[in-house]
Amino acid sequence: MAETQQMKKFKTPSKGTPRAKHPISLDHHIAPQTPQSATPSAINLRRSHRLTAATPEHRPALSSFNTPKSAAKTRKICEDPPSILPTETSINPASPPPVESRKKRKFQEKSAEKRKDSRNVKCKRAADRKVKKKVYHKKVVYDGGEFSAGHDVYVKRRSDASSDDEDPEVEECRVCFKPAGRRVLIECDDCLNGFHLKCLKPPLKAVPDGDWVCCYCVARKNGEVMEFPEPQAGKKRARTAREKLLSSDLWAARIESLWKEVDGTYWFRARWYIIPEETAVGRQPHNLRRELYRTNDFADVEMESTIRHCFVMSPREFANAADGGDDVFLCEYEYEVQWHSFKRIAEIDSNENDGEKVVDNDADWNSCDESDSGSDFNSEEEAAYENEKRNRLSQSSSLRPVAANSRKGQIFGLQKIGAKKIPENLRSRKQTDLEKAKSTLLLATVPKSLTCRDREMNEITTFIKGAICDEQCLGRCLYVHGVPGTGKTMSVLAVMRNLKSEVDAGSIRPYCFVEINGLKLASPENIYSVIYEGLTGHRVGWKKALNLLNARFSDENKCRKDTRPCILLIDELDLLVTRNQAVLYNILDWPTRPNSKLIVIGIANTMDLPEKLLPRISSRMGIQRLCFGPYNFQQLQEIISSRLKGIDAFEKVAIEFASRKVAAVSGDARRALEICRRAAEVADYRAKKTALSSSDASGKTFLLTGKVMAGMADVEAAIKEMFQAPHIQVIRSCSKLSKIFLAAMVYELYKTGIGETTFEKLAMVVSSFCANNGETFPGYDTLLKVGCKLGECRLLLCEPGTRHKLQKLQLNYPNDDVTFALKDSKDLPWLAKYI
Amino acid sequence: MPAFAALRQFPSSDPTSETIVAVTPRKTRLRSDSDAAIGSPLRKSPRLCKEGTPHSSPTASIRKCLKTSLNLSGSPQKKQLSEDFVERQNWNPRDETQRRAANEALHVSTAQMNVVCRENEQNRILDFCKKCIKEEKAGSLYVCGCPGTGKTLSMEKVKVMLADWENEECIQYPDVLPINCTSLANMNDIFSKIIEKNHSGKKRSRSTSSLQQLQNLYSQQTPGMKMILVIADELDYLITRDRAVLHDLFMLTTLPFSKCILLGVANAIDLADRFIPKLRSLNCKPMVITFCAYSKDQIINILQERLRAVPYTVFQPQALELCARKVAAASGDMRKALAVCRSAIEILIGDSMLSSLDGPEDQHKPAENVSMSNQVRIDHVAAALSKVYKSPVVDTIISLPQHQQIILCSAVKLFRGGKKKDTTLGELNKYYVDVCKSTSIPPVGILELSSMCRVLDDQGILKLGQSRDDKLRRVTLKVDGADIVFALQGVRFFRNCLQ
Repeated sequence: MAETQQMKKFKTPSKGTPRAKHPISLDHHIAPQTPQSATPSAINLRRSHRLTAATPEHRPALSSFNTPKSAAKTRKICEDPPSILPTETSINPASPPPVESRKKRKFQEKSAEKRKDSRNVKCKRAADRKVKKKVYHKKVVYDGGEFSAGHDVYVKRRSDASSDDEDPEVEECRVCFKPAGRRVLIECDDCLNGFHLKCLKPPLKAVPDGDWVCCYCVARKNGEVMEFPEPQAGKKRARTAREKLLSSDLWAARIESLWKEVDGTYWFRARWYIIPEETAVGRQPHNLRRELYRTNDFADVEMESTIRHCFVMSPREFANAADGGDDVFLCEYEYEVQWHSFKRIAEIDSNENDGEKVVDNDADWNSCDESDSGSDFNSEEEAAYENEKRNRLSQSSSLRPVAANSRKGQIFGLQKIGAKKIPENLRSRKQTDLEKAKSTLLLATVPKSLTCRDREMNEITTFIKGAICDEQCLGRCLYVHGVPGTGKTMSVLAVMRNLKSEVDAGSIRPYCFVEINGLKLASPENIYSVIYEGLTGHRVGWKKALNLLNARFSDENKCRKDTRPCILLIDELDLLVTRNQAVLYNILDWPTRPNSKLIVIGIANTMDLPEKLLPRISSRMGIQRLCFGPYNFQQLQEIISSRLKGIDAFEKVAIEFASRKVAAVSGDARRALEICRRAAEVADYRAKKTALSSSDASGKTFLLTGKVMAGMADVEAAIKEMFQAPHIQVIRSCSKLSKIFLAAMVYELYKTGIGETTFEKLAMVVSSFCANNGETFPGYDTLLKVGCKLGECRLLLCEPGTRHKLQKLQLNYPNDDVTFALKDSKDLPWLAKYI
Repeated sequence: MPAFAALRQFPSSDPTSETIVAVTPRKTRLRSDSDAAIGSPLRKSPRLCKEGTPHSSPTASIRKCLKTSLNLSGSPQKKQLSEDFVERQNWNPRDETQRRAANEALHVSTAQMNVVCRENEQNRILDFCKKCIKEEKAGSLYVCGCPGTGKTLSMEKVKVMLADWENEECIQYPDVLPINCTSLANMNDIFSKIIEKNHSGKKRSRSTSSLQQLQNLYSQQTPGMKMILVIADELDYLITRDRAVLHDLFMLTTLPFSKCILLGVANAIDLADRFIPKLRSLNCKPMVITFCAYSKDQIINILQERLRAVPYTVFQPQALELCARKVAAASGDMRKALAVCRSAIEILIGDSMLSSLDGPEDQHKPAENVSMSNQVRIDHVAAALSKVYKSPVVDTIISLPQHQQIILCSAVKLFRGGKKKDTTLGELNKYYVDVCKSTSIPPVGILELSSMCRVLDDQGILKLGQSRDDKLRRVTLKVDGADIVFALQGVRFFRNCLQ
């Protein structure tokens, strides 16, 4: 990000003032100038620079402006390096303007003719290392350019490498086909072509403020035909890398990590960017010309195929990078290739505390580890495994993780998991079975296979397939209900995952999938904008989104461009019930319209939600229901043992005990897993303690010969912890006086047989207790304070303390609980006789 | 007589159709009229018998159904109906296109060419609109009826018919503005939509609200203004707290030079009376047209009409009748009936998949049998119906975890004797602990209990009231105590408990 910070320094001081930045030859310092003053004498200018005529608020990406007009608020004024002679192309700015940090300058030293034969690769990190493994690098200087993780690069498409041969460096005037020379090139906001001021008709004297659209685009908009002048015969129009990228002749990618293969070649892991045309919805009117989408698609690419750096920025950076050059792009959304849905990068990143950084850190760490400590990977298989794991890591961090409990624990297969995974190799020693069990039993861990829900999954699959396999795709609606922790969301997502793989295999047509959790909506109405954003990658207010969606799902005459069926998964459907239930009505009305191609899957706990709704809504909801009953103990047992497969940490009876206990109360799989995990923790703790004590005693560190397994006792302890209410703990640990107070309360209530008592009566009992047992009576005021404190932690229910003696008191918990808690208190053994 | 020529091609297998054909149309009507008149009291008993034995020959009742539908739908239907008896191909559920065709014909979104069974209502609406347009007079009409009775569909149809009529009569076509009130972000938007539609050309002053503009417009004479036909679906969403929007909307039609014809659609029968009593005093109460719930004959009729689009015989007649009867008895909701039919088809497909998987040797069955197995039979429909209408209470209770069963058991004990109808969670806890103690099962804590009660509430077995304090939440049983006793009597523990 060093570049962008540097760029910010050159931000226009005042709005709308055209200001030129002059990328200069290498040794010059950088001086901002206005285009008027951009005298040819100036310097070795860089070709292009952009001016922001608009403040950042005018950026559509940042604001709610939606029209394509406002999307074109950027302007670029291009100045070219003065007369780049063919001979000078060696110092031709192959890179973005040298407005950047010193690092960038170095980068510029790279000769423009990036002929790949000059492969002077050097590695910054220590070179003496074993050859036979992959080596991860933080930074690689390749071909004169310095690449590191987090950079964005152009990547050649292998298919038509010939088109990459031409030098895409110099932008020409679109009219006279001469490079800009010393004159100013102005960029059209619409077609992104550059024009000499004088080549325009009528010629411009100066760069205008605000939007500027070239006369060709104006003509095209008015419906006239006005062709661009053709270049002279035999001369091909040079195309810049940007142009190629936007016409999908090149690719852009972000470097996630870099490594050196065993055979000495350099590779990097690329995270692809795609242009709006390549998304499922195609280019939308609101897309900026320079907009890209980050995907969650990764690939390993050889360094050989990179061309040079480009700069993909967030909207804010893009707005501030007034003069980024031609290789500046904007990326606001992440595009999920499998679901064809859009997500805001800002949201993803803020949700995970800057996940990218984590990835980078991991890369650092890994490279350190392998270079310094001489890792123990000797075979290539292990290296491959390591690599695979890294992929998974980076992938999971790219998707939005969610706190484990808000998503009902595990989500099958989609790796959207709350807890961040600590890389396994951080642990120096081998994990014991108990530790492995602990990690696999985490709710966040994705199970490899989903057991016990085959019937339900089949039903969901036939439901969805029945809809999307048809050509006409009739809309339909499915309501999934069941008690918490019975795998509703997990099953649906698992089905979607299977379907996705079938889409990949080509056996079903592609569809788009939008997943919404009712809990995450700020208000029920917001669902419209979330759906619309998911479908098109464009955020609008909910009112507008409602109109657009209504048009989308009901318009039968106009054949939509996007004819794929759409699957809408709404988790926690019952939260969308508003006072007049209009939201649910609209969502469930869409599938009943002709050509809607919408499939709604609603998930909720309530079994009779459709009956609670207005009849007109339940009439539209259809009759497709799917019930997830609570698990019985065999199923729970199977779930736990399938997770623990291959890990010998639990006694079989212990698992059965835990599952029976849970099945008797709620049948909640999450519960059962938690209990087992806790039991494993208890057992682990026990094992370590014995190991420690024995090592203390005998000086030997490896006394762990007898393998510790989690047994009945551990499960019992875990269950006690989980099912025992916290108030017992609270009572046990409260002060002496409070205990006397509570005991007196129980005594008094028992004696009188009434549910409540007054403070006055209670004080009498307490004083008699104290007198009989040799305690000093603390006085009314202190006692009152104690009573109020107990009331505050809701052990008692009491009236405000201002009523003093008349204050009425009531126990909040059953007498038995209090008795049980106080019975064996060590500091007050005499209490037992009163209760 | 091309019609007759067509009619004569019936297969002779069906005697009833032949009798209909043999006589002249006039006679047929007479005949069926008399049949309806005489036959109606008599019809009861044989039907009831027939329902008892669903596998008996269906023809008798179906014949009657057809005749009654003839009566209902009037003479133009006859010819189409007769086509039913033209030999149709057997429907093959394994064939993709055939399956798709059947599914599409039965889907809610597929609008029919002609809406059967609602001609009466449609004509009334149409007449009303025609009258208003001819006289250039404003008016309001309110259409009410249960969900799924074809209100919106009829309005669509009326719109089309109105356009046809205007083309014939060469009357200036009014602007038509269909609005679904659920999709209005703000209720007052309806006025701005009207004014946009009505006066798209004219400039709009920003200072006054759209309602005021409309009121001004309609209270003075402006020549050459077009009529506007506003079709407001789900009108009751316009009911705001002060009912101003609904009131203003209807008042627009009472203004002296109003050009607005308002057709409101909603479920409530008396919406206009309840919410706009002022209209009555002004003597411009909207005309009310009620869409009754469909009767079983109508449902059969509509289903057949829809299935006519498919050139195959998909349903056995008695299967359709079962579906129609059940749905008509419950709600008369056409959407439900369609959903049942579609899920019956799905069940059939699932069956046929299974059988084709099971035994390829079944292929050489008698051909007749195959054709029967390729139709949706009565048992398929029954299975689909049971998905909709069966109450799963007993099964649910049996599959509950034990502690939740104990809670239900203690609740039944608590409410026994009929003294109390509801209790608090604390009280229930006491009973629950007692039951547990009596059988030396360790009880769970009160927090756990309240979360279990919440689960039961979600399943619709208990009802949990709202309270700030967990212990004081009111608990009521939502299912019959007898159901719980019945479900739990299989376990000896509970049987002892409940004695």
